[in-house]
Amino acid sequence: MKKIIKDTLLLASLMILVVFGVSILWAGVTQEIALVCKLFGLAFIVVVANHGLDIIFLLPMRQSYILKYALVTCLVIAYGFVVGWFYPSNWWMAAIYTALVFIPAYFLDLVSVRRDVSYINRKIQERLGKLKHSETRGFYE
Amino acid sequence: MDNQPLTVIVEYPVLDEKARKVLQWVHQLDIQFVGKIDDKLLKIGLDEIYYFETVERKVFIYTKEEVFQLQGSITDVERMMMDSDLVRVSRTCIINTDHLQEIRQLKNSRLEATMDNNEKIIVSRKYLREIKNVFRRGTL
Repeated sequence: MKKIIKDTLLLASLMILVVFGVSILWAGVTQEIALVCKLFGLAFIVVVANHGLDIIFLLPMRQSYILKYALVTCLVIAYGFVVGWFYPSNWWMAAIYTALVFIPAYFLDLVSVRRDVSYINRKIQERLGKLKHSETRGFYE
Repeated sequence: MDNQPLTVIVEYPVLDEKARKVLQWVHQLDIQFVGKIDDKLLKIGLDEIYYFETVERKVFIYTKEEVFQLQGSITDVERMMMDSDLVRVSRTCIINTDHLQEIRQLKNSRLEATMDNNEKIIVSRKYLREIKNVFRRGTL
């Protein structure tokens, strides 16, 4: 299911890029096209910052998300001012938009980590079971 | 016969995934690293190694009770990672999953690996998928 959702999102991004790319040839850079390009630009900056933080810091999950949330909010505010999304009166909207993305991401990550940990532990137990079984059958004699 | 080296003959009708895994496992028995301890150089079999740790550009080999300085670079270890049960768990640490006993999520949401000599190693969440893949490909 996860792979299907991931592939759907990737395909949707590709479709948006292709459709809007073709539209630029016909209609030039309209407001909608400019917005999509700005969103892609912001996504690129956020992904680079995310990777950078992962390389520099080895933090527990919660601290890591708090740090990333703070950094991404600052980036969204700065980017939003540059591209004209925010005014001095509504800059705080960036913190809300970022939180709306980060909160589900944090819980999804939490579930995924728990699932991976339990898979690994189950495999270790299976291996230990196999080893005991082999020893009792004399394979290691 | 006592002085004969260990010889393993693997016969397979087709080189399928199962045969490949058996060959990989046999090959792993032959992997050795040279470590230095008290000015002595010793060959250490992969099965004895619990983990490798990089500290200030030096690589240390941790066995059940001893620590050796690897005579080589971390690249030598990384080269062996594909053919063995070694996996990176953090920027500085590569463990031998054969000695992994458990991974636990601590209260502060850190991940901690316990080896079968009860040594604890911090695991980065980023490498969890790679550890999972070692167990996935290692199932005979």
